[in-house]
Amino acid sequence: MDDLLQHFIVEARELIQQATDDLLALERDPNAVVPMDGAFRAVHTLKGSVGLFDFAPMGLALHAAEDVLGALKEGRVRAEADVIDTLLDCIGQAERWVAEIERTGLLPPDAAEEGYRLARVLRSHADENSAPAAAAGSPVDLGWVKDLIAQSPDAAAQAKSLVAIVYTPRSDCFFSGDDPVALLRSIPNLVSVRISNREPWPPVSEIDPFACNLRIEALSSAALDAIRAIFRFVPDQVTIHEVPCSASDRAATGAAGPLEEAAGGARGRTLRVDAVRIDHLADLVGEMVVAKNALAHLSGQIRDRLEHKDLAQALLTSQASISRIVAELHRAVMDVRMMPMRDIFRRFPRAVRDIAGALGKAVDFSMEGEDVEADKSVVEGLFEPLLHVLRNAIDHGAEPEEARLKAGKPGRVKVTLRARREGDRVAVEIEDDGRGIDPAAVRRVAGEQRVTSADELERMSDAEIINLIFAPGFSTASEVTDLSGRGVGMDAVRSAVERMGGQVSVQSLLGHGTTIRLSLPLTIVMARVMAVRIGQELYGIPLDGVIETTIVPRSRVIPVGDAEAFVLRDRTIPLIRLSDLLEISRSLELRSSMKVVVMALDDGPVGIAVDSFAERMDVLMRPMSGILSGMPGVMGTTLLGDGNVLMILDIPELIG
Amino acid sequence: MSVHLDGNMVVLEGICRVEDAEPLLRWLQADPGRIVDLSNAEHLHAAVLQVLMAFRPSLKGPPKDEFLRGWVMPALLDPGSCDMTPETG
Repeated sequence: MDDLLQHFIVEARELIQQATDDLLALERDPNAVVPMDGAFRAVHTLKGSVGLFDFAPMGLALHAAEDVLGALKEGRVRAEADVIDTLLDCIGQAERWVAEIERTGLLPPDAAEEGYRLARVLRSHADENSAPAAAAGSPVDLGWVKDLIAQSPDAAAQAKSLVAIVYTPRSDCFFSGDDPVALLRSIPNLVSVRISNREPWPPVSEIDPFACNLRIEALSSAALDAIRAIFRFVPDQVTIHEVPCSASDRAATGAAGPLEEAAGGARGRTLRVDAVRIDHLADLVGEMVVAKNALAHLSGQIRDRLEHKDLAQALLTSQASISRIVAELHRAVMDVRMMPMRDIFRRFPRAVRDIAGALGKAVDFSMEGEDVEADKSVVEGLFEPLLHVLRNAIDHGAEPEEARLKAGKPGRVKVTLRARREGDRVAVEIEDDGRGIDPAAVRRVAGEQRVTSADELERMSDAEIINLIFAPGFSTASEVTDLSGRGVGMDAVRSAVERMGGQVSVQSLLGHGTTIRLSLPLTIVMARVMAVRIGQELYGIPLDGVIETTIVPRSRVIPVGDAEAFVLRDRTIPLIRLSDLLEISRSLELRSSMKVVVMALDDGPVGIAVDSFAERMDVLMRPMSGILSGMPGVMGTTLLGDGNVLMILDIPELIG
Repeated sequence: MSVHLDGNMVVLEGICRVEDAEPLLRWLQADPGRIVDLSNAEHLHAAVLQVLMAFRPSLKGPPKDEFLRGWVMPALLDPGSCDMTPETG
């Protein structure tokens, strides 16, 4: 795919998102000026970019959308729900087209028909309730107004209100006796003027002096009516509107400094970098970590020999400083990969609106913590699970409006999506004030679906019971709706989150609502592992599951039926030998004590007995691929300093 | 006639009307290097103005007329307000 098209796709996605955000904001507050300008600018820019390619139907639809937005800005059309709906339809279609263009480089075959349809529906809105076609050429973009104000900031600052005029004389206007310059001259209290050519000038030999090719933009501090009167004979060629005070204020103050606002929003200094390059950088740093570990290994070996003590010392010092630099470099690269939750969160308002619309539910959706950052792979990996949870909240959580009112709740169900940083993890919660989860129902369904044994169910607390919604295959949906309950349950959410090294949990109070909580590591590229030894073999255990290591005297190991346990600080903890889990014969030597790694598993702490503890290390874990991908109990592998491969064990899976 | 040729200089005087655009155009087409004297122009019809905008000749001026000097001249001088690319609208 050529660079230009690729660039277009990236830019188009951003503009579509911007337009969607602004339209949704406009839906909440139809008179808001900022989102109206934002949506207009986004659609205008997108339409311009589309024009560079052969995507005429898309351009047609977007042009119509731009005109509707222009009419909204000028107050000729009101931002009614159906108008916003149509605009969102158009933007949604543009989004699908961009996806298709990314896939095939072309618009789909039905695009022409759909483009015309959208344009027709949009145009019908633009004409509705509108004054006789007032727009000549393109509608007014406040950007130029700001530019003009910036040219004469003093006059603009003194004026209480300004009137913006865009006069695009018809090309045959000279023949009807119009002199646009004379009209311009008759505008009282001019503040600023810009005269430009509408189309590029033809070669000098082909210039037609009697075909008007001018576009005149002007600002005046005179009364709106006085200016309307001047242009009363050319209403079809001029747009006149009052500049909102805020815009003139902003621009007037902005004139003193750089006009960042006018340039399309003050964004931080950013650099768009292909993700592949960052991944490559991350891989290199990862390999550097491996090389550093090799150095550590070597230093250790030299230290253990008695000769060359001073050399060993120097090597160790040098290794320590490389170690520090690599750690910093690694952090820096990981920082590059950090992205704010906003990048996925901003897609949810639209999604929630669509889901709620399809289900006929009224939802008050809000978000917090959009600025919380996490690794790109974590943030992007969260989109699907979160969407599923939101769907559930609206589909199953939200009661019908009458039921809510009867229960003394507001008619609209309140759904909050919240992200926050918790140490080196990020927590994301979806909270609703819906009907909550009924533990009795979960208990019954879990029994019917044989999610776990009847005894087990009997023993579980209500809080534990509702966490069964994450069990594989579990579904309480009494009816299969269009949106959820298609066999993709909360267990899909759980496994998606766990794949990223995260955990899910749920809290719910019947009648009051449900909170689903996802907790994820900030980055998943590097894993901290603890190496342990069974005989001569080294294995890795992810450190995030390890609570502590301890040494248990053999005398303190208590047999419990076929199994074993030990007591740690007054708590009985099951003891499992790693050699048994791996089906390796136990080492024959009998020691007086056992080395135990205490790990936090879903059903509480478990002690894993090993022959010895080895070092802790940061490793670049490579997931198992190919034939090995099906291997149970192994999360991935990493290359050790001495060139050996370390298998990183998935202890919960091994225990099964 | 408010436009006439004086040596190699095109002089626009008084109120320039739509019909002045044609001779101005021909003189500039014949020699785009000609200087245009606007100092005594009192009004420029849009047709005349756009010929000047298309050619961007060297100007002798500024016009005495305050409106022309303040609001119209920038279109003939400032490169930013009269670019050669189409508006994106």
